[in-house]
This record gives sequence, structure tokens and C-alpha cells, in this order.
Amino acid sequence: MIKVLIDEDACVGCALCVDECPTDVFEFDEEKSLPFVKRENECFGCFSCSEVCPAEAITHEGAELSRNFYHDNYALDLAAKLTPGTSQTSDVTDKVEQQKALDDLGIRLLSIAAVFRHTLGGSMPAVGTMAGRTLANQLPRYQVPESFTEVLEMASKQFNPSWDLNFTIEADQLTITTKTCFIRELCIKEGIELGGDLCVLFYNNLAGYLGKMSGMRLKLESMEPGSDQCQYRVKTFAPIKR
Amino acid sequence: MKAKVSTEWLSGCSGCHIAVVDLHEKLLNLVDSIEFVRIPVLMDVRDYPKADIGLVEGAIRSDHDREAVLKMRESVDKLVAFGTCASYGGVSGLGWLYKDDAILSKVYGGLPTTTETERPQGAPVLEHSVIPIDEVVEVDVHLPGCPPHPYYIAQAIKVLLGEEGAVMPAGTVCSQCNRKMVKREGVAFKKGAVTAPEKDICFLSQGVICLGSVTLERCRAQCTNKGVTCAGCTGPSIAVVTEPHLDIRSMVAKRMSLLTDIDENEILDYMAKEAKTFYSYALSSPVVYKKPTVEIREWVGEK
Repeated sequence: MIKVLIDEDACVGCALCVDECPTDVFEFDEEKSLPFVKRENECFGCFSCSEVCPAEAITHEGAELSRNFYHDNYALDLAAKLTPGTSQTSDVTDKVEQQKALDDLGIRLLSIAAVFRHTLGGSMPAVGTMAGRTLANQLPRYQVPESFTEVLEMASKQFNPSWDLNFTIEADQLTITTKTCFIRELCIKEGIELGGDLCVLFYNNLAGYLGKMSGMRLKLESMEPGSDQCQYRVKTFAPIKR
Repeated sequence: MKAKVSTEWLSGCSGCHIAVVDLHEKLLNLVDSIEFVRIPVLMDVRDYPKADIGLVEGAIRSDHDREAVLKMRESVDKLVAFGTCASYGGVSGLGWLYKDDAILSKVYGGLPTTTETERPQGAPVLEHSVIPIDEVVEVDVHLPGCPPHPYYIAQAIKVLLGEEGAVMPAGTVCSQCNRKMVKREGVAFKKGAVTAPEKDICFLSQGVICLGSVTLERCRAQCTNKGVTCAGCTGPSIAVVTEPHLDIRSMVAKRMSLLTDIDENEILDYMAKEAKTFYSYALSSPVVYKKPTVEIREWVGEK
């Protein structure tokens, strides 16, 4: 059962939680002018009360925020360092939960890859590239990169912590090394052969992203999967001038 | 033995250092347990002596700042990002909106009072933007505030010295504010630099934008309790930092429209139009500019 806790010192008595809760867990105590938990067993952990609460006074025990794979380590780390001495941030800084979420995502990707291979004609590179280009378009635009090196730097930040990407460029030869990769870890755990459809999908996704951001054209020359790190050797071409 | 404290002043206004001096008689209590070995506003120490705690004020704006913060990191055990500029970039983080060249050509030639068009030689080279210090060095504790409140300066030092029961809570400014949030009808939306007539009713209930509910409480709610709306100087609240879909603008608009009958879109549009005001303190931090809902360059017409 989920336990809903209201920090009465922090609560400002706005009663937004009473209105917001879809299952009417809260009621308002007019005398104390504070809300209280009336029907706790009705709570199903949607967290809409803690979202709307202006004082962030509501916490849940026994309910987890949905698989939080979108959390980025920078923000979690910052939150923990902003509030030393409290336990409040421990539930959002849960790395185990994050790993579960990545595994979840990995299994979904594997089945999507299988669908493309067996039912939709197996056009993995095209699918990956298109997805990468769309990704580049949809990401929030901040520091607009000016050179290819800047694009690479940005990408290695952007893909962390799911992937630890290292880029080295020698003339027109680009080497992409992936040290941690959640797909590889999942493949090893599930006994799936490395260098398969998902790796092709991943590479093309990255190439599509890098290509869209920099205008460069990338051509995959060789792919060397390994149990500690994978390497992709890529030839780069200058952007086409129109 | 006294813990040694070393401080450094990067791209900031020295306000955070003045806040240390502002501890008044509490400083004397602290001096029993700490000793300053380097503090730029009070002592003339140029090198970086070894210390237990390092307080860094200001963001990284030039290569000089970068070098100074790296030297600080080497010389201290625990590093505190001291003030909003160090944690999030602060007000000077608005520089994130512009390219260096645009800033420099404006300053050295584009202003009515400028006669000099030559840029100085040998000055520190600007970084690509205003950078919070934790992008360059490892930070142990973040103490935002503009400037940090004396109560929390003492708390932070206690936390670092390992004193029991010392905490830095995770609540928002509302959690310390004495105003009462009430639902109202027929409230007019008040724009611009205004305050609200009623002293003990929440600003949002009176149709005035206040950032208290999206701001981390590191200030004992001293502005709102004295009749001034919260400007968000301590940076976004924990929920805004950790949840990508929660944003300063959208959460204020949502709460205000739930409390009053003001249209949510009207508030959203106004806050986008005045984005430089409402996002002024944490704009150059990735927790804000990376949010999918934050399109500041579009809002201020710099794209």
C-alpha cells in the first residue's frame, strides 16, 4: 500500500492537492486550514499532487516514479549536492531504477529490430539514419556547434550516461569507440550475438544525428564489436555545397 | 583544530563574499571552528594555500576563471559552489543568449558612449559562454543564493564539518512563506513591476507572478514575507531540476490558473515575452536550457 505523507510545516494550505487528486485521497481541514490524507488506500501513485504542490510538501512511500530513464545524471547529482543531509532526494537519485529502465528500453529496441528484419524488409540503416536525423531536429537547441569537433563533443555529452562515446579523428577517418553501451550489456546478459541488427541500428542512428548536426556525410567502413568496447571506423566526407 | 577555509572570486559581483562578512556575530561563532587562509575581499593572498573547505563565488566566463577554479580544486578538500553564479551561472548567464563576438562588438563600439573601437590586448579570453563551475570541476556542495543567506552559509559549513543534524532542506520558497494561498475569482492579471496590496495572501492568488513555488528555499523566504515577489534568485527547485517536464514557466502558470480564473495561456505568453526576467538566474545551466519546453532564444528573438 502507498503511504502519502504531508509535511505540515511546509504546507501552505492552498488545497490544490484536494482538487488535483483524481481519486480524492485528500480532504481539507477547515479548522487547521490544512489538507489531510483521508482515503489513503485510494492512492495509486500518479504523483499529480506532488507535482502541483507549491511547497513540495507531499511525499509518497511505497510508490515509485515511473521508470525514470529520462533522468540525466547531471541533474540528479546536482539535486543531491543541493540538499546534503536530507534523504528526500534519494528516491529520485536511484541508479538501480535507471538501470531497470534502460533494460526495459533495450528489450523494446530488440523486438523492434526483429520486426524490421523479418516483417518490414530489413532496411536497418535507413531506419536508423532517419531516426537520428529526426532526433537532431527535435533536441533543444542550445550552444549551436560551429565545427565538426564541437558536434562530436556535444554528442558524447548528449549520449552519456547510456553510452560512453569516444571520438578520434585522423584526417578523414573517424573512429567511434563505445566504452559503456547499455545495448551491449543487455546483449551479453541475454546471450544475443554482438554486431547484429541493433548495433547497425545504433550506428546509423548516431551517424544520422552527427550528419544532421554537422552537415558531414559519414560512411561506415568497419565495425568491430567486443565485450569491453566496440569500435566503428567511419570515413567522413565534406558537406555537399549547393 | 580549526578547519581552514579558502575562497575565490570568479566572474561574480563579490556579493557572496560580502554575505560571509554579513554573518556579523555569527561569524565569531564560526571563527571558533574555522580559519580563513584566503579570502580576496579581506586578505591579500595571491597563491592558493591548502585548505579543508573552498568557497567559489561566480561563474566561469574567461580562461582566467577556468584556471583559477582548477587551482582551487587542487588546493582544497571540499569545494562549495558558493552563490547562484557558481551553481547556475547567475544573472550574467544571460550572456548565454549571445555569441562572444556580438557581445564584444557591442561593448567596444556599439554603444552611444563608446569611442574606443579597439579591443584591449592581453585581456583574458572569453569562454564560449557563461559556465557553471561544476561543468569544469567536481563540486561537493551547492549553496545557491544571490547572495547566499547567512543561515545557510552556517548550515553548509556545519554540513561540511560533519556536524550532526545539519541539513539543507529540499523545500521551495513557499515552504517558508507565511502568505496564505487561497482560491479567488475575478482576479485581474497584473503585469510589470508591481506588488500586491494584501499582506498575508499569496501573490499568485492576487494575480501577481511570484516564482516562489518553483524556487529552492535557501533564503528563509525573506522577500515574499516582506512584500516583494520571489525573483527566483536561488535557482530552480529540486522538482524542476530533476524532472525534465517541469518548467519554471509552465508550473507557475498552472498553479496561478488553478488558484485564480486567469487563463493559463495568457500567463504562459507573458512569461515567454519576459523570459529574460523570469529565467535570469539559472539560464546558462543545462538543467534549464536543456529542457524541451524552454525555447528562450525564440522567445527573446535571438534566433
